[in-house]
Amino acid sequence: MPVINFSKTVLDNGLRVIVHEDKSTPLVAFNVLYDVGSKDESPERTGFAHLFEHLMFGGSANIPDFDTPVQNSGGENNAFTNSDVTNFYEVLPANNLEVAMWLESDRMNCLNFSQEVLDVQKKVVVEEFKETCLNEPYGDVWHHLSAMAYQVHPYRWPTIGLVPEHVERATLEDVKEFFFRHYRPNNAIVVVSGNVREAQVQPLLEKWFGDIPPGPAAERQLPPEPPQTEMRSKVIKDAPVPMDAIFLAFRMCGRGEPEYYATDLLSDVLSNGASSRFYQRLLKDRQLFSAIDCYISGTIEPGLFIVEGKPADGVSLEKAEDAIWEELALIRKELTEETELQKVKNKVESSLLFSEMNVLNKAINLAFFELLGDAAKINKEVDAYRQVRREDLHHVANYILRKENCCRLIYRTREELKN
Amino acid sequence: MRPPAPAINKVENLRLRHPQQYHLSNGIPVYDINMGALPVVKIEIVFFAGRPFEKKHLAARTTASLLREGSEKYSSAEIANAFDFYGGSLSIPVNMDTSNVLVYSLTRHLDKLLPIVADILTRPSFPQKELDVYVARAKKRLQLDLSKNDVIAYRTITEKIFGEEHPYGYNSTPETYAALTREDLFAHFEENYTAGNCMVIVSGDTGELLRNKLEKYIGRIPRGPGSEAFLPSVKPSPQKLKIDRPDSVQTAIRIGRRLFNRKHPDFNGMYVLNTILGGYFGSRLMENIREQKGYTYNIYSTHDAFLFDGYFYVGTEAGKDFVEQTTREIYQEMKRLQTEPVGADELEMVRNYLLGNLLTNLDGPFNVAEVVKTFVQEGLSLDDFDNLIGTIKNIGEEEIRSLAAKYLGPAEMIEVVVG
Repeated sequence: MPVINFSKTVLDNGLRVIVHEDKSTPLVAFNVLYDVGSKDESPERTGFAHLFEHLMFGGSANIPDFDTPVQNSGGENNAFTNSDVTNFYEVLPANNLEVAMWLESDRMNCLNFSQEVLDVQKKVVVEEFKETCLNEPYGDVWHHLSAMAYQVHPYRWPTIGLVPEHVERATLEDVKEFFFRHYRPNNAIVVVSGNVREAQVQPLLEKWFGDIPPGPAAERQLPPEPPQTEMRSKVIKDAPVPMDAIFLAFRMCGRGEPEYYATDLLSDVLSNGASSRFYQRLLKDRQLFSAIDCYISGTIEPGLFIVEGKPADGVSLEKAEDAIWEELALIRKELTEETELQKVKNKVESSLLFSEMNVLNKAINLAFFELLGDAAKINKEVDAYRQVRREDLHHVANYILRKENCCRLIYRTREELKN
Repeated sequence: MRPPAPAINKVENLRLRHPQQYHLSNGIPVYDINMGALPVVKIEIVFFAGRPFEKKHLAARTTASLLREGSEKYSSAEIANAFDFYGGSLSIPVNMDTSNVLVYSLTRHLDKLLPIVADILTRPSFPQKELDVYVARAKKRLQLDLSKNDVIAYRTITEKIFGEEHPYGYNSTPETYAALTREDLFAHFEENYTAGNCMVIVSGDTGELLRNKLEKYIGRIPRGPGSEAFLPSVKPSPQKLKIDRPDSVQTAIRIGRRLFNRKHPDFNGMYVLNTILGGYFGSRLMENIREQKGYTYNIYSTHDAFLFDGYFYVGTEAGKDFVEQTTREIYQEMKRLQTEPVGADELEMVRNYLLGNLLTNLDGPFNVAEVVKTFVQEGLSLDDFDNLIGTIKNIGEEEIRSLAAKYLGPAEMIEVVVG
C-alpha cells in the first residue's frame, strides 16, 4: 500500500492545514472541513447545520457569488453535511489553486448574511426534504431509526432535520450566531491535495487564512446515550410503500474506537459483495429476499449497525426476519472461517488502494482523520483491518447482535399498493 | 483588509493521451492506456449487444446480468467468491447499446480472475434457477421503481419520443420479464458476444504482460460477424401528458424531444448549449428556478446520445404548488436562448467550466479510458476530442442562438408531468 505523504502545520489562529503532493494529476483538491454537524444543533432547530451549508454558497463579505469564479477557473465545488461534520471542497486545475483559497477564506472570514439568500435556501432545503424523505419510498427511515436508537443523544434527529418547520423557522440571527460559533478557523481543517509544491502552498495559506480571527474555543458536551436494555420495536402499518421492509439497527462503537474495524468487517462478512452470507444464502439460495444489505453508520460518536431487507414475493415478514436472526445467531455461535475473514480484508485493502487514485478522496480522508486526532491515521487503516482476528469478530458479533441491543422497524405496505 | 482577488488562469495542456492500439489474434481491437503509478488494472470488454440488437425485449439486459451467474467451469457462487477474495470486481453494466464487461483487479491477481472472465464469455450456462431468481428480483425492483414519480416520468417521455416498440423507447413490464427463457439468452449470447462484435479498453498498470494475458484469455472468444440493429422508424408527436398521483408532495416534470447521436454535426454545439441551459450547477435553469425562486432542489437538462439516435430533456421534481410556475420558467429559459444572445461573460464562464471539466475527465488512467471508450465505441476518431475542444473554445453567440432556435422550440417538445 503506497504511503500518502503530507505536511501538517497549525496557523496562529488555530487553523490546521495539511498539504499532500500528487504529481500524477493536473488537478488540485481544496477541502475545508468544519467540525460541526447536526449533532451540534438545538433540538428545536434541527436541520440547521445542513441549511447553513447551503447558505455558505450565497455570497460572502467581499464576493457576491461563490460559484462563478470556480466555474471560470474550470473547477467544480460542492459540500456535504452529516451528523458530525460539514465539508466543503473545490476541485480545479492546479494552476487555479489560489482561486479556491480566495473564495474559501473570504467565506470563512465573513458571510454576507443576506435575508434574501436565507429565504430562498429555506425553500430549496424544504424541497430537498420532500424529495429525499417524503416523496421517496422508505425516505423517512432515518427519522424513525434515529428516534428509536437515540433517546437523549443529538443523533436522535437526522441531518436533514426532524420536520421542515424547523428549517422554515431559521432567522438571520440564528445564522450569524451559528457562523461565529462554529465557522471559525480554530474549528476547521484545510487540506490541499494535488499537483502543487508544498513550499509554495504554505505561504499562500498564510496569506489567505492567516488573518482570519479565531472564535471562542469549541465546547461540546453531548449527553451520552444510556445503555439499551431491551429490544425496541416499531411497526408502520398501512405504509405508503410498494413492499414490506425490515430494518434492524444495533448500537455499535464510534469511529475512533478499536472495535470499529472488527465491526466493519463483521458487516462485510454478512453483506459486502455477491459472495457474502446474506446475499448467497438468504437471497440466492433460499430466495427469501429481493434485496438485503448490512452496513454501519460510521459516525464519530457511537453509531448503528444496520440490517435491512425486503422480503421476496410470497415470503412473510416474520419468516424473513427469522432468517436474518438465524444468520446472526450463526455468526455469534461459530468463529468465521479464516478464508472468509481474509476475503473481506482483501476487499477492504483493494478498495482503499483504488480510492487513492482520486485527489478529492484523499483530501477528504486526510481532513477526516485529522479530525479524529491525527491525519497520519490514513496510512494505518490497512494495518488496523489486517490485525482483526476471528476472535475479535466473534467478540463484537456477540456484543452487538443481541436482541436487547436492537431497534426493529417494520414497514407493512398498504394492501392496495401490493402489485 | 483582504488581499485582492487572484488572477484566474486558463486551462492548459488539455490533450487526450492516445492509447496504444493492437489486435488480438481473433481480431478484437484493444486500446491500451498504460499510465498511473498504482498496481491496478481496469479491463472493459465492450460488446455491441444492447437493445438495438435484441430479438426479444429485455434479452440484452438479462443476458448481460446473468453472465456472471454461472459458466461451464464456475458456479455463480464461485465467480462471486473469487472476485471478492482477490479484491477485484466484475460488473456488467447494462447500457442502451452495449454490454460492458468491466473488471477491476490488482495486477498481481489477474491470473486468478481472467480465466473466469474467459469462461463466462465463451461458455456461460445461464442456469434456470439463476434466471428465476433474477426475474423475481427484477420484478420487485420494477415494482419499487414504479412507485416513484421521476421513474414514471422518464419511462413515459422516452416511450413517447421513440415509440413503444423502439429499442430506445420500450419499457420493461412484469410480463416481458416473465416471458424470457434460457433459450432467449443463449440465442442473444451466440449472436452478439463474438469477437467481431467487440472491443477492449485496458488502462492502468497494463503493458506487454497484460497484452499476453488478454491474448491468452480474451483471444479465445470466437470470431463472428457484427450484429445487425433493429430500428423501427421514429415519429414523435409533440404532446402534453399529465399523470395524476394525488398523494405526492412533489411533481416530476420532464420536457424534451428526440435529438441525435454524437456523429451529428450539431452535437458539439448542443453540448455547449445544453450546458448553458441546464448542464451544470451555474446553469440558467438552476440559477433561475432553484437559486432565485426556490421551486426545486434540483433541475437539469441533458442530451443523451446513443449509437443510432439521441434525445434531450429537462427534468426536475418541484413542489406541487410550484408546477405551473416551474413549467413556465423552463419554456421561458428555452425561449430566451432562442431570442437573446448568451452574453460574453456567461459564455466565457461556460467555456472555462467545460474545459476544466474535460481536464477532470482526463485525470488518471481509468478516466482517460472512459473518454477513449466513448469516442471509439460510437465510431468516432480520437481527433474528434480535439474538435469538441475547438467548438467549446470558438463557438459564437449567434451559433448558440441559432441552435436553440433549431432544437429548443416549444412546438417540438413533449411534456410529461407526474404528481
